[in-house]
Amino acid sequence: MTTPYTYKNSRRLFEKAAAVIPCGIYGHFSPAPLVPPENYPFFAQKASGARFTDIDGNEFIDYMCAYGPMVLGYNCEPVDRAAMAQLEKGNCLSCPGQVMVELAEKLVNTVAQMDWAFFAKNGNDVTSYALMVARHATGRKKIVAIRGGYHGTAPWAQTFGHHGVTEEDAAQMVRIPWNDTAAFEAVLEQYPGQIAGFIATPYHHPVFADNEMPAQGYWQKIEALCRKHGVVLIVDDIRCGFRLDLRGSHAYFGFTPDLVCFCKAIGNGYPISALMGTDALKSAAAKVFYTGSYWFSAVPMAAAIATLDEMARINATAAMLAYGEKLRDGLIETARRHGYDLKVSGHPAMPYLRITDDPSLMLHQRWCGECTRRGAFFTSHHNWFVSAAHTEEDLARTLEIADEAFAVIGDNPQKK
Amino acid sequence: MNHCIQFAVPKGPAAFVRFANGACETGAGKHPSSDVRLMFISCRHLSAMFENKGIPIPLKGFTKLPFMAKEFSAITRRMEYFLKPTDDLLQDTDYATINTLMTLHTAGRAVAVLSGTDAQSKAVAGALPDGPMVMKILPDGTAVTLTVTKGKITMEKGEHDRPAALLLMKDMATANRLLNQKIDPFTAIALGDVKIQGQIPMIDTVDLILDRIPHYLQP
Repeated sequence: MTTPYTYKNSRRLFEKAAAVIPCGIYGHFSPAPLVPPENYPFFAQKASGARFTDIDGNEFIDYMCAYGPMVLGYNCEPVDRAAMAQLEKGNCLSCPGQVMVELAEKLVNTVAQMDWAFFAKNGNDVTSYALMVARHATGRKKIVAIRGGYHGTAPWAQTFGHHGVTEEDAAQMVRIPWNDTAAFEAVLEQYPGQIAGFIATPYHHPVFADNEMPAQGYWQKIEALCRKHGVVLIVDDIRCGFRLDLRGSHAYFGFTPDLVCFCKAIGNGYPISALMGTDALKSAAAKVFYTGSYWFSAVPMAAAIATLDEMARINATAAMLAYGEKLRDGLIETARRHGYDLKVSGHPAMPYLRITDDPSLMLHQRWCGECTRRGAFFTSHHNWFVSAAHTEEDLARTLEIADEAFAVIGDNPQKK
Repeated sequence: MNHCIQFAVPKGPAAFVRFANGACETGAGKHPSSDVRLMFISCRHLSAMFENKGIPIPLKGFTKLPFMAKEFSAITRRMEYFLKPTDDLLQDTDYATINTLMTLHTAGRAVAVLSGTDAQSKAVAGALPDGPMVMKILPDGTAVTLTVTKGKITMEKGEHDRPAALLLMKDMATANRLLNQKIDPFTAIALGDVKIQGQIPMIDTVDLILDRIPHYLQP
């Protein structure tokens, strides 16, 4: 049996952090949804491949992959080499480097049906830009989004009632259920000539809830409705992008959007995001003034080119799919041996897991916590991420840890 | 002395306070046998009375008005003493305990009311999953249960045996600081002073509604 980890240094540093940083650690890295937090590390020290080490010296097989950016492994040599080579030449300069054009060309040649690329830093930068482009192109205000969908933390992307969000911030957003084309039709009827855009992730991956794939024909119907009513179709491919399909998740699901937002996996951890679009919207995109201090930095662009090249070279999406399927099947079987029903939803490269025997999620939270303090970094609230760096050895150790953790929480008495 | 006092705003809220056999019971809506009925022309008028700035319109129970002026006023003053703490008063452990317990119950009731009346709270409560959420002070276990049913929240004293979400405050002092918004909940959770389990979105939403309370309590 594994000796459970302890986190003395993480706790000590968190206390110092809380004195000088709101929440100590904020946003999606906040320890608050890591239940119970005492089973989780708060600060990382170093990483390599699919593993990271915290500041107490505990090593974890990482199933969050920095919440998505890590796709080829931490400290991936070809990516870091390209980034360092660019750094020697220059990073933030008074003009963009030629690497910006090279990356745009690379993306246009890689991502299906997209004709141009615009670069920023975070996912929210490009989802917000996409809305502005859609509004300028159509002369309309309203945006349709999916209830429970996440597109960043800008006020428009949050809902009224959350701290710092006014009624006006959310006034032009219309939220409908996922996989409900009739609801979209009803909105189009309710607001004729007023809908500028429809934004959604390629499949529905909310937190604290099972993830849902698009129903048969869903995207094709949405696309047809957008075309009929002059609505800009925006795909938020920030989480899924390059994990399902190098050509973009719209290619995976067989439809053609007008705008696609990328971030996370595009640079294997180097800070960069991209909005891509079709020729029809290039002029509108050019007219919307949108920029940022670091959006032209060359190092992340060089890293992104190397990431795309390396993903293509090793067929990373196939590797992640294969690993994700083995992980899914192994964990379900491990749970079954202990009398539990582990439900895995979403794409195998980004699985969301839930022990269905306890709808309150408390049992699932306990199991994830016990796995984490034995070396498999599992969160209970968010979809996980698989990378191309996860190995057979990682898989075997993960299943061993999962088995131990089930033994610790005890077999399901109702199914033994 | 047994009395049942009815408070009502026409086309607005109604509630009663009943004193019987040395105990006090409260409830929303109209009591069938109140012996004092106080009418208020508006919610603002009702609030003014509780701030000692307004006089109600008595519709029934004129003979009980001395009770209202003496005993009832004394009780409300005592409640105010415990619900409006000063830093000095909170140094007294007994005072802090009563303040914390009253704040816990008041906050629970306020969440229930705001989820049905405050636009901002209604907006977030509408997305809540159904189920009971328990807020509990350790180690003695004083608890309230907030039950969500189709976006409406009700509060009961005590804890549910199968909660969908649990918010545990490690002691009375932590509960006092949390309920009086003197500590950041995210930090308190990370440090283990406050523990959360289960359907965390319920706790997040209740936190959003709790944060609306000062908006209505500020003069």
